[in-house]
Amino acid sequence: MIGIRILRRLGGALVSLVTVTIIVFALIHLAPGDPISAGDDPESHRGLSAAARDELRALYRLDEPLHRRYIGWLGDIVRGDLGRSFQDHRAVSEKIAARARSTILLNALAILVMLGIGVPLGALAAQRQGSAWDHGTGVAAAALNALPVFWCALMLQIAFSVELRWLPLYGLRSGDAASRGLLWRGLDAAAHLVLPVTCLSYGAAAYVSRFVRASLLDSSAPEAWRAARARGLAPFTIWRRHGLTQAALPLLTLAGLLVPALFGGSVIVERVFAIDGLGLLFLEAASRRDVPVVMGLTLLAGCASVIGMLAADLAYGWIDPRVRRAR
Amino acid sequence: MPAERVVSFLASGRLVAGLSLLSLLTMLALVSPWLPSDPGDFDLDHILEPPGRKHWLGTDTGGRDLAARIASGARVSLGVGLVSTLVSLCLAVPLGALAGYRRGWTDAAISRWLEAGICVPVLLLLLALLSVAPVWFSSVPEVWRLGVVLGIGSFVPAARFVRADVLRIAVTERVVSARAVGCAATRIVLVHILPSALGPVAVTAAFGIGTAVALEAALSFLGLGIQPPATSWGGLLGEAREVLDRAWWLALFPGLSLFALVLACNLIGEGLRERLDPRLRSWS
Amino acid sequence: MRRRDTWVLALLFGITACSAPGVPSQRPGSSVARVLMPSDPASLSLIGRPDRNSEIFAAQLTDSLVQYDSTLRWVPRVARSWEFSDDHHDLTFHLRDDVRWHDGVPVTADDVAFTVELAQKPILENRVYAPLLALVSGVEVVDRLTLRAHYPEPTPDALEAWRIPLIPRHRAGADADLLASEFARSPVGCGPFRFEHYRVGEEISLVANEDYWDGRPGLDRLVFRIFRDQRTSYQALRRGELDLVVLAPELWAEALRSAEAARWKSFVYSSLSVWWIGWNMDGSNPFFVDARVRMALAHALDRETFASRVLNGLARPAVTFYHPDSPWADPELKPRAYDRALAARLLDEAGWVDHDGDGTRDRAGKPFRFRMLVAVSSMQIVDLMLAWQQAAWSSLGVQVEIEKVDFQRFRELRAAHRFDAFQGTNTFTPSPDLYELLHSSQRDSGVNYIGLTDPEIDRLTQEGRDCFDPELRLEIYRALQRRIYETEAVSAQFHFSSPVIHDRHLAGIHPSPIDIYRTADGPRLWHWTAQEPFP
Repeated sequence: MIGIRILRRLGGALVSLVTVTIIVFALIHLAPGDPISAGDDPESHRGLSAAARDELRALYRLDEPLHRRYIGWLGDIVRGDLGRSFQDHRAVSEKIAARARSTILLNALAILVMLGIGVPLGALAAQRQGSAWDHGTGVAAAALNALPVFWCALMLQIAFSVELRWLPLYGLRSGDAASRGLLWRGLDAAAHLVLPVTCLSYGAAAYVSRFVRASLLDSSAPEAWRAARARGLAPFTIWRRHGLTQAALPLLTLAGLLVPALFGGSVIVERVFAIDGLGLLFLEAASRRDVPVVMGLTLLAGCASVIGMLAADLAYGWIDPRVRRAR
Repeated sequence: MPAERVVSFLASGRLVAGLSLLSLLTMLALVSPWLPSDPGDFDLDHILEPPGRKHWLGTDTGGRDLAARIASGARVSLGVGLVSTLVSLCLAVPLGALAGYRRGWTDAAISRWLEAGICVPVLLLLLALLSVAPVWFSSVPEVWRLGVVLGIGSFVPAARFVRADVLRIAVTERVVSARAVGCAATRIVLVHILPSALGPVAVTAAFGIGTAVALEAALSFLGLGIQPPATSWGGLLGEAREVLDRAWWLALFPGLSLFALVLACNLIGEGLRERLDPRLRSWS
Repeated sequence: MRRRDTWVLALLFGITACSAPGVPSQRPGSSVARVLMPSDPASLSLIGRPDRNSEIFAAQLTDSLVQYDSTLRWVPRVARSWEFSDDHHDLTFHLRDDVRWHDGVPVTADDVAFTVELAQKPILENRVYAPLLALVSGVEVVDRLTLRAHYPEPTPDALEAWRIPLIPRHRAGADADLLASEFARSPVGCGPFRFEHYRVGEEISLVANEDYWDGRPGLDRLVFRIFRDQRTSYQALRRGELDLVVLAPELWAEALRSAEAARWKSFVYSSLSVWWIGWNMDGSNPFFVDARVRMALAHALDRETFASRVLNGLARPAVTFYHPDSPWADPELKPRAYDRALAARLLDEAGWVDHDGDGTRDRAGKPFRFRMLVAVSSMQIVDLMLAWQQAAWSSLGVQVEIEKVDFQRFRELRAAHRFDAFQGTNTFTPSPDLYELLHSSQRDSGVNYIGLTDPEIDRLTQEGRDCFDPELRLEIYRALQRRIYETEAVSAQFHFSSPVIHDRHLAGIHPSPIDIYRTADGPRLWHWTAQEPFP
């Protein structure tokens, strides 16, 4: 039974993925300009002859109709080939792999921080609903949530890197890190990560804390609460039994939504802290109409988010028997 | 007890504070065309003047009055926020409700589309929509254009939340019994489900405005959003960045305005959540 | 070590750091210059898909046959001498016999022929040299050190093509696609620096070529550090993590006032580029066919004040396309002066008067309201400039709407002549040829987007192309400038200057109108005057 359900969901996920790639493929080809003329500057005598242009068009398969090109691309994907960048002719997989590490590291840490701070604070606020602590964290969360990331990043840079000189300004490691010991390198990396991870996670942590609080209050029927209190259970046990599992449902949806944000959300942070990650790669590739790179990144982001949402959906059914029955 | 009074003030105060902050900013936006100084007036003899009696918030690198520019930027930010939230709700509520209530194939089809939509990077979507759009679209005022595009770019999460809410409400005893006595589907959705989902939707909308405002600012900061000489707060911050050490006021005031607007939306969202959710109310 | 910082995390962990992370140390006795590169080069293949950064990189790693020096005179490099045949159809180069590739193999005429052949392959997308080399119908390797190029149609600017960076056949010859080849990962040249390593998004490191034929470079190592963000690169300069940066005007002013200013020296170089306004004169709008209108709008702008106050003096008002530092510029011509009264009178004369008193001039019922096409740019200053022009013209009763579009869209609209006016920047080579931009034959297929049809300008641009006598050529191009100026065929606005800030102990930098890297007097002449300036 469960096997069939998973298979059906997987099939659905595959349909989603193909839909995304079609949308993005169409979008990038509909945008004005093409990858061949993107580098031209005819007034400064930069350009290619008509013959060279045609040859390139054929080389990049730009002379074929859109659907044929898409099918060709899809065929390559099925064979496990992401293609080569129009920009420097390097394999797309190689280009992505070279930049993926920093983005994944940054976002994984940001998600950890977000959950590690957001969930306990939210739970605490829910438990002490109506207290000064609850309202205080509420106001603080609203304020943090409203603080624009780029502005905050700028201020933190000025304060901690330029004026106080406590933390490095940019990048993920020092120039001479390779020649140092393991401990030094670890501390070095940690110091580089403090500001970017802070900037990436503070808003989300604030959001999650309120989200968790609301879900907990929402899900715990007062009757259950009173009954459990009457049975003399400790508050934490009650929350664990009746609250957290319920609260986990919307939180899972949220987590599913967070996976794609992993690829989009760090563009600003990557830009301000000069971290060469996937966000910047995407920005660059899109502006140069570098179709294979854009498509490769889309596919990657799509896979990650589809898997995230799939996991959330499956867990949904597993946690809430009513939803499971209803299917 | 005074402590209790403080607490209850904070509880009700959140909505009040948010609403008053928002109305203050809205007033600012509404009266901005009639303010004495024009945001487009250059005064090359008074560039980068700190806040003073003549220019309350100082002047920028072209000698333009910062207060006037912030006021005209308020129109842009609020406009983009409202338009995009409206667009996003118009798409999200019907789709989410349909998927959450009908389930089965309808749900599967809509959910696949939503999943696909969420994977399309917002940035590419914006770039593409803004540049490939038909010619008539480029004659639409920029605020509307950006608002619609941001709305399309951001309705998917809202739709998924609505779907989750409807899914949850649809299995409550009230709805199950309504179904058992043979109520029509539209009636169940309109009378039994959507009112219960209204709270979450209003909350989503309030937060949505804040998010859209912040997103617009970020885009303008990156140089992709509202294009100068039109003024937006994100664009002002982008300009301020270049002269940060010489003109703190250029970074501070637009940043504070942006902060205030998003904060107002979030406070309203929080306050609404407290007020509108029937269970939360009965609980407290 | 250039800086010692306290490092809060290290302190937290109970470790006192004597050197802060993020600050690479210089090995004693080695001299390194770390300079800003604003983004990754498109390719390291030396001749494939060149953009500005890869050209700067290539100019350090390898040499060309001939090169401009910092005063824009041609100087011999790998070619010891060259001569034209009497009919100007053949150009013969004689190569030096002491130039070696970094792996020790001698550089021969065959390598040059190989470079030329490869650069024209479409797959390499060499947009800089392929069009120039297309004028050459054949390259003949006369002997090991002699090369002859044949031009079916002689051109006085033939040498331009021979600034192409040379690559070795024995290293780069095997691959079908040079861009994807092993050579593009660790390129080999014959220039003053050898390739050491490249970390994407971080840095490109080059080491001195001890065997360089023109003397070992003054630096042991040249490191291009990549910062996409102007302010981040400025902060890195302040922290002593960069030794040389080219800054935005605002940051330059800030830098000169900062506490660290005593550590630095700064200078300004002006490149051969111009920011200009093109008026659409093909008759699709009623405004700009009339030269008086074009002149009026030029006189309405107080460019002197804007350049000095807003641009911190980092721009010069322009006369025409010819840069004042270029030998071709006519020193007699001065930028059109700011004169509002004159501007108003010219508009009145042209029939543009505010008849209905609504604040906007009109003629025959049509208000003077036009659209200015601009591309979205990373240059912050552009937005300010647009708003300033808009305000200045508006006060004269001329309304301009700014249509700001994606760069690709900008080019499409411009090529289709779908604009009233546009503005943007052009970067020129030292050649004075403006045929493509201004000749009426280039209206439909070429880059004469403004629809200019002026018999005098047509004649002069054509004559300049056929003239091999330097004196006469100068006369022709001075006449062309005067004609452009008199008719205000284009409104050249500013020549922007690039401010450079560098460590005051870094010496030997030669600014030129090309830049500080791509001339014969590039970084190979740089050196430190003090080894350890900051203990």
